[in-house]
Amino acid sequence: MNLAALCRPVTAGLVVCWSTFAGCVYAQSADEHATRHEQPAKELVVFVTTEAHHISSDASAATLNEDAWFAADIVLALTRDRFRLFGEFLLTSEERDLERFQLGYEVVPNTVAWLGRFHQPASAWNTEHHHGRYLQMSITRPAIELWEDQNGIVPQHISGLLVDSRRTLGDLGGLHVSAGAGLGPRIVEGKLDPLDLLDPHEGGRHISWTARVSYLPDYTGASEFGIVLAQHRIPVLDQSIVNFPLANEVRQSVYGAFGLWNQEPWRVVAVVYDINVGLRGPATARDERFVAGYVEAGRHFARGLAAYGRVENSARAFRSAYLSGNYPDVDLRRVMLGLRWDVLPRHALTLEVGRGESVRTHQTEIRLQWSAALP
Amino acid sequence: MAGLRHTFARLGLCVLLGLARPAWAEDRLLLLVAAQSRIEALSSVDVHKLFLGLTVVVNDQRLRPLRNDADELMRQVFFQNVVSMSESVYDRRMLALTLQQGIAAPPVLRTTREVLNALAADPEAVSFAWAADIERDPRVKVLRVLWRR
Repeated sequence: MNLAALCRPVTAGLVVCWSTFAGCVYAQSADEHATRHEQPAKELVVFVTTEAHHISSDASAATLNEDAWFAADIVLALTRDRFRLFGEFLLTSEERDLERFQLGYEVVPNTVAWLGRFHQPASAWNTEHHHGRYLQMSITRPAIELWEDQNGIVPQHISGLLVDSRRTLGDLGGLHVSAGAGLGPRIVEGKLDPLDLLDPHEGGRHISWTARVSYLPDYTGASEFGIVLAQHRIPVLDQSIVNFPLANEVRQSVYGAFGLWNQEPWRVVAVVYDINVGLRGPATARDERFVAGYVEAGRHFARGLAAYGRVENSARAFRSAYLSGNYPDVDLRRVMLGLRWDVLPRHALTLEVGRGESVRTHQTEIRLQWSAALP
Repeated sequence: MAGLRHTFARLGLCVLLGLARPAWAEDRLLLLVAAQSRIEALSSVDVHKLFLGLTVVVNDQRLRPLRNDADELMRQVFFQNVVSMSESVYDRRMLALTLQQGIAAPPVLRTTREVLNALAADPEAVSFAWAADIERDPRVKVLRVLWRR
């Protein structure tokens, strides 16, 4: 983000949009607060984490800012009747980013059409936790779910239209459908570069498609079982794909299945993705396919204690020339164990140890994190 | 003189009984809407959905939940009988609701007086209070008993 970006028309539009909505909300609130407790409703939450860690491999420590020692994720949600405005701004010791900015309209009850930059719904993990790390039981996220600027393999931020719908199904169950389309990322200097709303460079981007369909055994519960799919055409701006310097486009298809099972005191997440990567150039075409997945199981105990473990694995990933050339430090296999202690309401201490294997190296990591949701 | 003393004693007892809050009344938690509201009934499933942040529409009215947090017993009844989960799990669900769906959690009001004023001002608001606290308040109507001892 830079100051010059604030002068751009799109950015100015965002600022005007936000200010107008917020102004209306607060003006209305001030006028009517004495007599009416109706909407607009607003929620401001800041998810804060600080972390100390030791990672045996220098290579990964240099590239993954998942390891930032401090992070504050500022979330603001405003609701007025059927309209919603949502923003998520992430501030860490490594970056400052407007991660999500969405204007929504609830077309029918529990079906919302969103316009803006959103997290693609084909990620089982990120649509559950987003950047709010306090809500994760573990400190780290699975490698296949890493954000683009953390050396992530799969695009996670799209700018366009997202429709999210929950319908009842039978007496107790529900159906959750979420589908989005919009401008996807580019590849610059070998990394995915999603559209930055505060400094937009939309040139050359293609439309990404992404969706999930899931069954909710209990419509009001937190368990969910479903499938996901996504299609991306990612232009390469600077011939920076290692092993394929002539490639000017990467095509990526993701097909996956997931299960989130929450039954106190247990919580289990299991996800598998089948990822197809197609490299396209003027006189070259190569297709690769690999599978990545993980299972994380956790159990809550008395006094706010919880224990968890996660296994991440992949098939054919180590043989992928695309991954070995461009993501040599991303863990393709990893095992970890952790203990979490919810010391106070909305404050937790977590200790995590893990052993991972990337194309380049093996590494052991030990992490200690304080996470909180404020206020 | 003795008769006058008896009269004063009876009068004092009546005043005390009138001021005292009957225990049986306090032991019923009632689901409330404004007296002018068009809502006549609300199922326990809808109440559950409403306080978990889902949109509930009844008679074309989008309902707005207001959480009454006036005392400890009421809080316990809310978590055990209305949303059926522990306070910590509910708090995480509300944080996730904001993060995932951009929805604010139901507002929490600290006194029943605030709740009654809010209900009276908003025909789409839904809340709850002890029976003893809403007696003779014509501004609200009772939809159902949420809990009784």
